Amino acid sequence: MKKSDGVVSGAPIDRRRFLALAGAAALVPGGALAALSSSDGIPVARRRLLQRNGYALDAETPLDALTTYLTPNDLFFVRHHWTPQYSGHRGWTLTIDGEVERPLRLTAQDLRGLPRTSVTCVLQCAGNGRGLFQPSIPGVQWKYGAVGNARWGGVRLRDLLDRAGLKATGKHLHTFGSDKPPVRVPPFHRSIEMEKVLADAIIADEMNGEPLPALHGGPARLVVPGWAGDHWMKWLERLSVQPEPQKGFYMETAYRYPKEPGAPGVVIPASEMRPVTELFVKSNVTEAPARARVGAPVLVRGFAFSGAADIARVDVTDDDGQTWQPAELDPQHDPWAWRLWSYRWSPSSAGRRTLRVRATDSRGAVQPKEAPWNPSGYLHNGWHSASIEVEG
Amino acid sequence: MRGGRVAPALALALAALLLCPSGASARRAKKKKAPAKSKHIAAATFDPRLPLLGTKLAEFPAGPSKAIADQACLACHSVDLVAQQRLTEKQWGAEITKMTGWGADVPADRREELVGYLLKNFGPDAGPWDPIATRPAGK
Repeated sequence: MKKSDGVVSGAPIDRRRFLALAGAAALVPGGALAALSSSDGIPVARRRLLQRNGYALDAETPLDALTTYLTPNDLFFVRHHWTPQYSGHRGWTLTIDGEVERPLRLTAQDLRGLPRTSVTCVLQCAGNGRGLFQPSIPGVQWKYGAVGNARWGGVRLRDLLDRAGLKATGKHLHTFGSDKPPVRVPPFHRSIEMEKVLADAIIADEMNGEPLPALHGGPARLVVPGWAGDHWMKWLERLSVQPEPQKGFYMETAYRYPKEPGAPGVVIPASEMRPVTELFVKSNVTEAPARARVGAPVLVRGFAFSGAADIARVDVTDDDGQTWQPAELDPQHDPWAWRLWSYRWSPSSAGRRTLRVRATDSRGAVQPKEAPWNPSGYLHNGWHSASIEVEG
Repeated sequence: MRGGRVAPALALALAALLLCPSGASARRAKKKKAPAKSKHIAAATFDPRLPLLGTKLAEFPAGPSKAIADQACLACHSVDLVAQQRLTEKQWGAEITKMTGWGADVPADRREELVGYLLKNFGPDAGPWDPIATRPAGK
């Protein structure tokens, strides 16, 4: 498997994993562990998180477990900058202050009592795919699975800021969570332009119909549909409305992207960088057989999403992009959510064949063959592929 | 960051106490409240042999410089985060500059030794690194 190809690593790992689980099954009462499914239909053999940092916790979801429209909470990728105070609901409050007429302090119960809303959308870590860039870029080496799609329930920020009396001078929402860093390490403090906050953002205390898990920012986190995860502050404690953007390492150095594509080793001045915001159009293969036979169709499946726009089409090529065939889009979709797709491929010749997939969104943005280079390895979206051994 | 080794231990203890469904505090809580058709992770939906996220930690490769890597890196994050990198000498140097600015404990006279150790074990030519497969802890 060539790293830069992004070939789905399904076949060999699945086989190793099957053998490992076959061994485990012998130890488990009832046996046949590998054949078990949970209520979401994802086989137990695929249910796992790949640890990228043992503390603070970072873990990604293997692609072969990202096969459902809603990603189950317990399979959703985990991202911490620092270990938070997992405070639970008791004693938790959220303060809203700054450029507002009436600062607020809300308990979890207060939040539950406000008009509710929900949004089904993709959450993707800005650095998802950093581990696919060559040459290597320092940071968490996420491959494909720092992404998931969930139904987030909570309260519109717009409603809360109406209640607090947003002043005209309030242009940026500064966000603070309970994940405090050790000693001199800069805190993970962020801010979001008020325009996006008022249009789309919610404070979520539910995830897929359950109380927001502590691992995912409970009691409450921000949800900023269409934008990368660095805006989705977890373990919220305080929101402060301010005239200017937040300062600090995580605003002025990290989470910034070149205005024009960069190249490895080329230093880009700060003035030529902009914040990471909208997700790029992207698709991934989640399921493909390791083997096929000439003339016998096989099913390949995956997901596709884009930041602000809907997915218009997903296409598959078996000749490295010379010709493309449309995949079938699943009817289930919501604004900012991912779209599951499937493609029935009939192999016409024997040998090792590579299927590549690309998505196009409703604004005409097309997933590129190679992800644009950027110094911090954000928003990787190069074509993804699956390798299939075809027998004659 | 003296006493830094306490930090990961504390973080883990906290995580275990607050997240781990089989932790002592969770058991006590269950006794008090009883009903809890708990929404804790149902063990049956995961391979029970998988370690809980954050409970299995790799170690730096053995050698005379392991102690300095432990001292420098492990106050804030686990070995995984270092071991998955494949960086050049220049990149490792830049990382150490950044981390010492943030409080990492690297005596000036052992900085080059640390760069050499990281480059040898986690340089561009190091072999593949496989993440530990885990199951999530807590709710």
